[in-house]
Amino acid sequence: VPDAPLRIVGRPTPLLESPAKVTGQAVYTHDVVRPGMLYARILRSPHPHAAIRGIDTKAAARAPGVAAVVTAADTPKVRYIYLGGPFSDRYPLALDRVRFVGEPVAAVAADTAEAAEAAVALVRVDYEVLPALLTPEAAMAPGAVAIHPSEQCLGGPNVALRSERRYGDLEAGLRAAAHVFEHRFRYPAVLSCPMETNAAVCDVFDGVLHVWTPTQVPQFVQKELAHVLDLPLERIRVREVAVGGGFGARSKVCEQEAIAALLALKTGRPVKLVYTREEEFEATKPRHAKDITLRTGVDAEGRIVARHARSIVDNGAYTHMGPGVMGYGGLVAAAVYRTPNVTFEGRLVYTNKHPGGQYRGFGAAQMLFAIESQMDIMAEALGVDPLELRLRNATRPGDVTACGWKITSCGLAECLRRAASAIDWERKRRAPGPNRGVGLAAVVHVSGANVYAYGDFSEAVVEVQADGRVRVVTGSADAGTGSNTLLAMIAAETLAVPLEAVSVLSMDTRDAPPELGAWASRFTMTGGNATRLAAEQAREELVRAGADLLEAAARDVRLGDGRVFVAGSPERGLAFREIVRAHGPIHAHARYDTPTDALGPSGYGNISAAYSFAAHAAEVEVDPDTGRVRVVRYVAAHDVGRALNPLAVEGQIQGGVAMGLGAALQETMSYEGGRPVQRSFLDYRIPLATDLPPIEVILVEPGDPGGPFGGKSVGEPGLVAAPPAIANAVAHATGIRFTELPITPDRVVAALRARDGGLPRGADPRVHPALWRVAGVRALYPSVVFPLLRDVGARWARRPRRPERVETERPATLAELGRALAAADGRSRPMGGGTDLLAGMRQGIYHPERVVDLSAVPELGEIAEEPDRLRLGAGVRLARLLERPEIRSRLPSLYEAVTHIATPQVRNMATLGGNLCQQKRCWFFRGGFLCYKAGGWTCPCYAVLGDNRQHAVVDADRCAAVGPSDLATVLAALDATVWTWGPRRERWVPIERFYRGPGEPDLAPGEIVRAVEIPWPEPRTVALYEKVAPREGDFATVSAAVTLRVQGLVVEQARIVLGGVAARPHRAAAAERVLAGAPLDAATGARAAAGVLEQALPLAGNAYKIDVARRLVARLLGRAAARAEAVRR
Amino acid sequence: VSVTLRFELNGALRTVDVEASASLLEVLREQCGLTGTKYGCGLGECGACTVHLDGRPVLACLTPVLQAGDARVTTIEGIGGDGLTRLQAALVRHGALQCGFCTPGLVMTATALLADLPRPTEAQVRQRLVGNVCRCTGYTKIVEAILDAAGARGA
Repeated sequence: VPDAPLRIVGRPTPLLESPAKVTGQAVYTHDVVRPGMLYARILRSPHPHAAIRGIDTKAAARAPGVAAVVTAADTPKVRYIYLGGPFSDRYPLALDRVRFVGEPVAAVAADTAEAAEAAVALVRVDYEVLPALLTPEAAMAPGAVAIHPSEQCLGGPNVALRSERRYGDLEAGLRAAAHVFEHRFRYPAVLSCPMETNAAVCDVFDGVLHVWTPTQVPQFVQKELAHVLDLPLERIRVREVAVGGGFGARSKVCEQEAIAALLALKTGRPVKLVYTREEEFEATKPRHAKDITLRTGVDAEGRIVARHARSIVDNGAYTHMGPGVMGYGGLVAAAVYRTPNVTFEGRLVYTNKHPGGQYRGFGAAQMLFAIESQMDIMAEALGVDPLELRLRNATRPGDVTACGWKITSCGLAECLRRAASAIDWERKRRAPGPNRGVGLAAVVHVSGANVYAYGDFSEAVVEVQADGRVRVVTGSADAGTGSNTLLAMIAAETLAVPLEAVSVLSMDTRDAPPELGAWASRFTMTGGNATRLAAEQAREELVRAGADLLEAAARDVRLGDGRVFVAGSPERGLAFREIVRAHGPIHAHARYDTPTDALGPSGYGNISAAYSFAAHAAEVEVDPDTGRVRVVRYVAAHDVGRALNPLAVEGQIQGGVAMGLGAALQETMSYEGGRPVQRSFLDYRIPLATDLPPIEVILVEPGDPGGPFGGKSVGEPGLVAAPPAIANAVAHATGIRFTELPITPDRVVAALRARDGGLPRGADPRVHPALWRVAGVRALYPSVVFPLLRDVGARWARRPRRPERVETERPATLAELGRALAAADGRSRPMGGGTDLLAGMRQGIYHPERVVDLSAVPELGEIAEEPDRLRLGAGVRLARLLERPEIRSRLPSLYEAVTHIATPQVRNMATLGGNLCQQKRCWFFRGGFLCYKAGGWTCPCYAVLGDNRQHAVVDADRCAAVGPSDLATVLAALDATVWTWGPRRERWVPIERFYRGPGEPDLAPGEIVRAVEIPWPEPRTVALYEKVAPREGDFATVSAAVTLRVQGLVVEQARIVLGGVAARPHRAAAAERVLAGAPLDAATGARAAAGVLEQALPLAGNAYKIDVARRLVARLLGRAAARAEAVRR
Repeated sequence: VSVTLRFELNGALRTVDVEASASLLEVLREQCGLTGTKYGCGLGECGACTVHLDGRPVLACLTPVLQAGDARVTTIEGIGGDGLTRLQAALVRHGALQCGFCTPGLVMTATALLADLPRPTEAQVRQRLVGNVCRCTGYTKIVEAILDAAGARGA
C-alpha cells in the first residue's frame, strides 16, 4: 500500500458517542431497565475486623417486597482470582470474617430499592469484634493479630509481599557519589470517583446470565464471574453499555457484579444494584497509600549514580493489585532518569481498611511524587537549576534503562524544554511574582505493557458488511477515553472510507475476540495495532476480490471512498457492498503481539512495546493569609508518539492533570476507626471548574516505530506529574517543602506560621477557670473518655430508624399552615426548598414521619421594604435575593454572602429560612458516626481526636461542630431579627440568640421561621463580608462580617461576627471594643484583629482557623478603611 | 401517600401519580422513563441531575416532587428539537465530554447560563459551572465550548 497522506488519523475527531451523550440518549448501566426487575441493596460490615459467628436472614426474607436474601452460604465459596495464587484472598460475600468497614456480608433483592434497604436492616449478624490494624506500622508490629492466614502472607505476618529488586550495584554507586540525599515522602489514599457509581444489572434468560456493568474489562468480569459463581464461561455474557468513567478503578472486576448475579440466579428475575455515592467512598478501592524513602547519590556533575528506593504500601484488607502497584513503582524509579544502580525494596502490608486498587498512574504516581520532589531538593542543594538537573539526567532515545526497558522514541528532553519555555521558566524562576512560584516535574510511563496474564496481545475483528459499511468488533470498553473512536479512525484510514461508514461493537463478550481491554495505558498500542492489522487484512481481501471482479491486477487497484477502483480509471470501480455481494461478507480477525518480555521475578526486562514521557510546568500563587494555593498556569507537554486523535489526546491529558491537581491540593481521605471520614463530594473535594486554570497542552510527536501510525499511550502520565509539579512550585513560592499530600490550606498556614513562631495557641486554660472543665475532659479524652464513650457508652445510644413512610403535606395558605403546624410534634419537620432536608434524610440525620412543605404559602415568600427595615419571608429562595437591587445597593454584605452560598442550582431552590435552620455539616455527624449529636449523651465527639480541621475553635464542648449558615453570620453583623411563628406563639429573636447549638435553631416543634427583619443600615455604615472556604460555594472555614458606623474616619459603632469557628455566630467582642471610638487606621485594625478569638481553645488540627480569622478581620478592616476614606471624599 | 401531580414536562402537560415524599429525580427516571437526568450523588453535590424548573436550573435529586406541581420542568430530553443546539454542537466539536455521565446536567446548566448571560466571560462560565462536577475533562474544553457557543472567542 503506497504511503498516502493521512485523511483521518491525526485530525481532531469528536467521540462517536458524543451526540448520544449530549442529548441524554446514551444508556448507562444506571439506565438499564428489564421487565420485572428487582432492586438490590448490600449489608456491609460496620467493623474493621470481626469474626462472623452467625447470620440470621429470616426476618429480612419475610419483609415486604423481598424476593431473596443472599449470604456467603448461597455461594460456591470461591475467592476472586485477582492476581491468582496466594493473592486470591477475597470472597464475593464475607465468609467467616470481615476485614474492613464496608465489606459486603449479605444482600437483598426486593421490589423496590427502599424495600431492599429496609430488609437489609433486618439481617442480624453475630460478630465477634477483633483488634483492628489500621496502619502498616500497627500491622507489622510484633504480636499483631493476623488479618490473613500465613499462606497469604508471603512477606511475613500481615505482609502480603516483600519485594527486592537490584539493578546494578547500589553500594558501589553510593560509594562513588559526591553527594547522597535521603528523604521520605508520603502519598495518601485517593479515590478515582467516576461520576457513574458502580452498578450492575443481571438478567438470566436463554440459559445465559446477561450482565450490564460499567467496566473497562468485560472479559475479566466474565472470567471472574464464571469463577466465583462456578458457571461455564459461555453461560455469562457481558453486554455493551455506556460506561460512566473508569480511571483504572474499573479495570478489574468490581464486586457489585457477582452480588447482583447471585441474586438474579437465586430469584430467576432481573436484578439491578446501584451503589450510593456514600458506598463508593466507603467500599470501593482507592489508590494505595505509600510511604517512600529515597536515598539518591549524585556525582560531582549532578548525574544520578545510585538510588535506593524503599516503600511501605498500605494494601488494605485484600490484595487486589497491590503487588503490581508496588512493583511498578520500583520500575519507574529506575527509568525516568538514567540511573545505573538502583535497589528497590517494598513491603505490601495488610491493614483493616478498604482494599487499595488500580487508579490511573498505577504505582508511578506515588513514586514519581517522591522522585520529582527530591530532584528539586537536590537541585537546590547542588546549586543547579531544576530544569538543568533534569536535562542532565533525562532518559534518551535508544537507552536501555537499569531495569531493562528498551527506549524507542523518547521526547522527554523536548517535553522539559518546551514546558519550561511555555511557562517562562528562566524569568519566573529568577523573579517570581509576590507569593508566586514555578515548578517542573517529569514522567515516564509504559505504552502497551505486558504486566498481566494475556497482557501481551490484543485481537480485533474488522468486518465489511453486506451494506458496505465497516464494523470493528473489540472486547474492550470505552469508559470515555475515546478508544472506540480511535479504532474507528484506524479502520476508516486503512480502508479509505469516511469515518461515518464505520461502527464499533465493543464489550459484548459473545461477539468480541479475546482482549484484555482499555486500561494500563495499553490500548492505543495493543488494540490500535490489532485493529490496524485486521483492517489491513480486510483491505487485502477487498483488493483481491475487487481486482478479480474488475478483471485487473491486484497491484493496479486502489481504495477510496468506500470503493475499489482501477488506478487511473476511477470509473472502473465497485462499491464495497457490490464486492461483498459477489464475494461474500468480509470478516478479518487479527492479533497483535507486543514485542515485550514478561515481567519475571528479577524485575528486569523490556515489559512494554514503547514508553511515553511527559513534563509539566506549573505556576502557583500562595495566599499567605488563607494558605490557599491557586494554580495560575499549567502547561503539560507530552510525548505521545503521534496524537492519533488530538482532541481525545488533549482531553486525556487535561483530565489527568485535573485529577492530579485534586490529589495535590484538595482531595483528602482520612479514617476514623478504619472508616473513611469523607463520604460525599462536599468533603472529598474533587476539583470544580473554579479550582482549575485552563490546562495548556503541548504535543511532542517524535512518532514511535512500533505504534499504530506512530502513536503511544497517553492515559495516565498527566495525573502523575501534577502533584510533584505543584509541590515544587509551592516550594519555590514559599520556601516550604511539602513531602506529604495534599497541600491543603490548613497545612500551608501551619507551615508558614511555623517559620515565624508557630500558630496562635488560643487561650491558656490554666488561667481561665471557665475553660477548666473542657480542657480537663480533653486531656482525658484519648486515654479514658473517648474509648469509654465509643466502646461502652455507645451501647446506650439512641439509633433513630428511618420511618417506613413519610407523609408530606403542602399547605397553600397561612391558615392551612397553622393547622398543619398545630398537629406537629417531634416527628414532624418543616421544609423550605428541600435542599437540606432531602440530603439529610438520605444521610440519616433527619427521620421525620411528617414533612410540612412551606413553599406554597404566599406570605412566606414575601419581600417587604419598610421604611426602617427590610423583611424577607423565610420562603424566599436565595437566588431571588440576588435579583433585588435594593439588597445589592443597601445591604452589600448580605449580597456578597449569598453569592458564595452553595451552587447556582442550590440557590434556585434553597430558602432563607432553610439556610438559617440547616443542620451542621460535621463530617462525623453526617457520615453516620454514632456521635454525641447522633446517638445521644452517652456517645463521644469524634472530632476531639479525629480529623478536626473544620471544627470549632471556641465554645466547643460535647460537640465540636460549627454552625453552617453563612447567612446567620452576616445577618448577625447586620443586627437582624428572626420572626418565629407557630400555633402557640410568635417571637422576634435577635439572630445572635437564635441558636441553641450548631445548626440547631431555637424552635419548638411546630414553630417555624416566618421572616427575617433587617434594619436598613444608617448612613455612613460600611458593611463587608468575606468567606474563606475550601472551595467556591463550600461551607466556611472562617467567614467574617463587619458592620461599622463611621464618623469621618472614626468608628462610632462596630459589629464583627465570625462564622465557621463556633457553634453559633461568634461576636468578636474584644475587637469591637478596640474599634469603638478609635480611628479606622492600620494600627487600630491590627490591634482589633489581634484580639480576635483570644478565648479560643483549638483542637489539634484547627488552630490555623484562629490565624486565618485574625488575618481575615484585618483584611476586612483595611477594606473598610478604604471604603470609609472613599465615602469621606 | 400517592397524590396526582400535574406539571408541564418538556412542553407537554403530564399527570402522574407520585409518592408525595418522592424527589423529582425518582419521578423523572422511574415513572416518566426519562433517564437522561442522572443520579451522581443524591446529595445535591455533583449536578448530574440538573433540570430546569420554570426555566431555572435545579437539582432534581433534592427537589421535592410536589414543588414541581403546576410548574414547567425541562429535562435534557426537552433540549433542542431534531438536531443539536448550538451549545450541544459546540460541546461535541470541542471534545468537551468523555464518559458523558455529567454531560446532560452540564448542558442544562450551560443552557440556562447562556440564556442569562449571552456573552459570558471565562470567569463567569467557571463560576456558573461550580455545581456541575466533571471527573473526566478538567473543564478546559467545556469552558472553551461554552464560550464558543456564546459566540465569544473560542479559547
